[in-house]
Amino acid sequence: MTGFAIQRLLQAIAVMLVMSAIVFLGVYAIGDPMELLIPPEAPQDIRREIVARFGLDRPLWVQYLTFLGNVVQGDFGRSFIYNMPVLDLILGRLPATLELTLAAVLGATLIGVPLGIYAGYRPDRAGARIVMALSILGFSVPTFWVGLILILTFAVSLGWLPAGGRGATVELLGTQWSFLTANGLSHLLLPALNLALFKLAMMIRLARAGTREIMLTDTVQFARAAGLAETTILRHHVLKLIAIPIVTVFGLELGSTLAFAVVTETIFSWPGLGKLIIDSITNLDRPVMVAYLILVALLFVTINLVVDILYAALDPRVRRGRTA
Amino acid sequence: MRFKALSTVAAAALAAVLGAGAVAQTLTVGVRGGPESLDPHYSALGTHADAAKHIFDTLVWSGDDLQIEPGLAESWRPLDDTTWEFKLRQGVKFHDGSDFTAEDVKFSIERIPVVTGPTTLLIYVRRVKEVVIVDPHTVHIKTDGPAATLPNDFVRLFIVSHQAAKDFSTKETAAEGFNSGKAAIGTGPFKLVSWEPKGDLVLERFDAYWRGPAHWQRVVRKEMPNDSARLAALKAGQVDLVNYVSSADWLSLRNDARIETFLANSVYVMNLQLDQREPTPRVYDLAGNPLAKNPLRDPRVREAFDLAIDRQVMVDVVLEGLGRPANQIMPAGFFGSNPRLPERQHDPKRARALLAEAGYPDGFKIDLFCTADRLPGDAAICQGLGQMFAQAGIQANVNAITRTVYFPAQAKGEYSVFMNGWGTLTGEASYTLGSLAHTKDETLKLGAFNRIAYSNPEVDALLQAAIKEIDDTKRRALFEDAMALIMADRALVPIVNLQTVWAAAKGKLKMTPRVDEDTLAYFIRPAG
Repeated sequence: MTGFAIQRLLQAIAVMLVMSAIVFLGVYAIGDPMELLIPPEAPQDIRREIVARFGLDRPLWVQYLTFLGNVVQGDFGRSFIYNMPVLDLILGRLPATLELTLAAVLGATLIGVPLGIYAGYRPDRAGARIVMALSILGFSVPTFWVGLILILTFAVSLGWLPAGGRGATVELLGTQWSFLTANGLSHLLLPALNLALFKLAMMIRLARAGTREIMLTDTVQFARAAGLAETTILRHHVLKLIAIPIVTVFGLELGSTLAFAVVTETIFSWPGLGKLIIDSITNLDRPVMVAYLILVALLFVTINLVVDILYAALDPRVRRGRTA
Repeated sequence: MRFKALSTVAAAALAAVLGAGAVAQTLTVGVRGGPESLDPHYSALGTHADAAKHIFDTLVWSGDDLQIEPGLAESWRPLDDTTWEFKLRQGVKFHDGSDFTAEDVKFSIERIPVVTGPTTLLIYVRRVKEVVIVDPHTVHIKTDGPAATLPNDFVRLFIVSHQAAKDFSTKETAAEGFNSGKAAIGTGPFKLVSWEPKGDLVLERFDAYWRGPAHWQRVVRKEMPNDSARLAALKAGQVDLVNYVSSADWLSLRNDARIETFLANSVYVMNLQLDQREPTPRVYDLAGNPLAKNPLRDPRVREAFDLAIDRQVMVDVVLEGLGRPANQIMPAGFFGSNPRLPERQHDPKRARALLAEAGYPDGFKIDLFCTADRLPGDAAICQGLGQMFAQAGIQANVNAITRTVYFPAQAKGEYSVFMNGWGTLTGEASYTLGSLAHTKDETLKLGAFNRIAYSNPEVDALLQAAIKEIDDTKRRALFEDAMALIMADRALVPIVNLQTVWAAAKGKLKMTPRVDEDTLAYFIRPAG
């Protein structure tokens, strides 16, 4: 087991190294950030001086090795745009994205799974058909459009909720959180709903498909034959059996939403990571782009590493298959 | 409704606390872009300066139409070819109560080269060789040669307190010191309360401001990059004022009784640029093969491009009225714009005839490149150009792309025919003509943005003379002559001068829009 864990860890490190090289090359290929950042009227000597000051006149491999060396020491460099250490910039905005993402993914799961089970359990009822029709809508309507419609309806026409921004925050564990205040919650509601819609539709579909399959299996037949109540069957047998794909998707969605909640954050002026990364791309703020992508890669590699090790712990076949 | 009720109760409670007489006036502005740091010396970006002007003052002030006016300097005059004397305003206080003196001016000028970022402010102090303090309210600036436009450069010279900022003046400490507020001590109309990158900038009135206290007790500038979302926040009453209303929204707002709009000409003129290099990469014959000779070097071909453009249609249809046809590459009325130039003509028939005369009776093919996300309407203008060129017989393959890709490729010389906006940010011609129209010259430090290898010796001579000319009247005449020559050559073809729109809740405020697109709370007055 330890051998398996070490092997996986080494693989993860190799993936991170390759990833960092690809990210560095890719970002380099987009274009020269100095062409965007240096004011157009700057004469040639000033251009050269600035380019040299930021080390961009050196060969690419020297830049990459310097970068790697610094990262090993925990230094991701300074943003061209904000002149702040990149790590401070990213960590400072993480809580806002974290609470938005958790609210959206948890909300989608807690509402979507029961709806999906219902739709799978009684597929012919009108209610089930309405749920399924809504889930198609959730899949097919673009996020930015739904976001604008939500703002128009609830903020502009009805005036119930704010149109954007993050509300009042309170400090907890050294970080500012907005979900603990009424004002913060009112700001959180619309963007979380906007972000949750797609995931809600997906959770409904996953739960429904799983339920329909399980309902036909011997497990359910035997449980019914044993005289168990339908609600007990749903809660104890069906829910447990459909949980595996749902948990997997939950984890992946959490990761990807955390990394790429860009559209919703932009529309709702939510001061999270999405806005930061999209701005750093349009401004070619290389240090931020590189650090961000590498941190996202690290996030996914870590999730996969944990999942792999967990699988191996749970299922001996995975372990044996590797070493055989 | 519950939230509305809650906020009403809160507002009532607040009013009760403050007492009936005192009205706490807050101005909340939704802006498209905010500062990048609170260090005013870090970036030359327009949005950066816009925010910095709330907390800091500049040595020379630029007015609503970019005319230069006294700021922290009351007056200035050239003593000889390489010395300017600036007389400083007396009795000006910093936010911490200390006096503004010549020491702060010297400190600020010398600080810029150390802390400035890639969007560098070096260009505004590059002529300065030495700063000599004569007395606490007089400084002499020695320049590296005759520098006629030094006062124009100093409209971007923000003055920081040499005491508050002295420990925060290296690349590593600057952002931290200013963002935390420790060093963000200016002489400006507002004191800093709080700011975070991409977040809200919260400001409070500075009662001892030398122009007199501001109308607003508190100013909040919220960064809202999405145009529709920003406007929605205004309609929902979350903000009082927004900048950069899009042309489509502007049309619909004219029927909205709750919203008032303010319109200003901007500093931006959209220019078509025609590459003069031989060979040029992206011009083809009708079969798609590269042409042996660069047709863009033929003045008749360039005139054909010019005649093909219907500028009135660009303004009326493409920009929904938010612009003016341009007949030169700077807005009318700027120092060095030529008032005697005629309006440009639209004549596709004559364009075809000129092409035939030049040896292209059936036209040719080009790849046209433009920015698509930099200025309002840039992509639409690009599409319009493509169609207008087609009518004159030039087949344009239109590429409206992100500025992130456009500018680096343009710098590498990958384009032959391209269009982007140019803003004359200082309001005078040396900035624009010196960069765009002078032959690219490393030793003279001119022509840095001349990416089409445009070169006219007569223009070069006029520009070099103008830059050295201290006398305003003579300098203006030299620039006007240069402008006339450049426009006749048509390697740089002006299309439209853009306009900018602000929108506010009706009856809330009065403002005079500025040409440089700044939204300065100090100069915005409450209505009534």
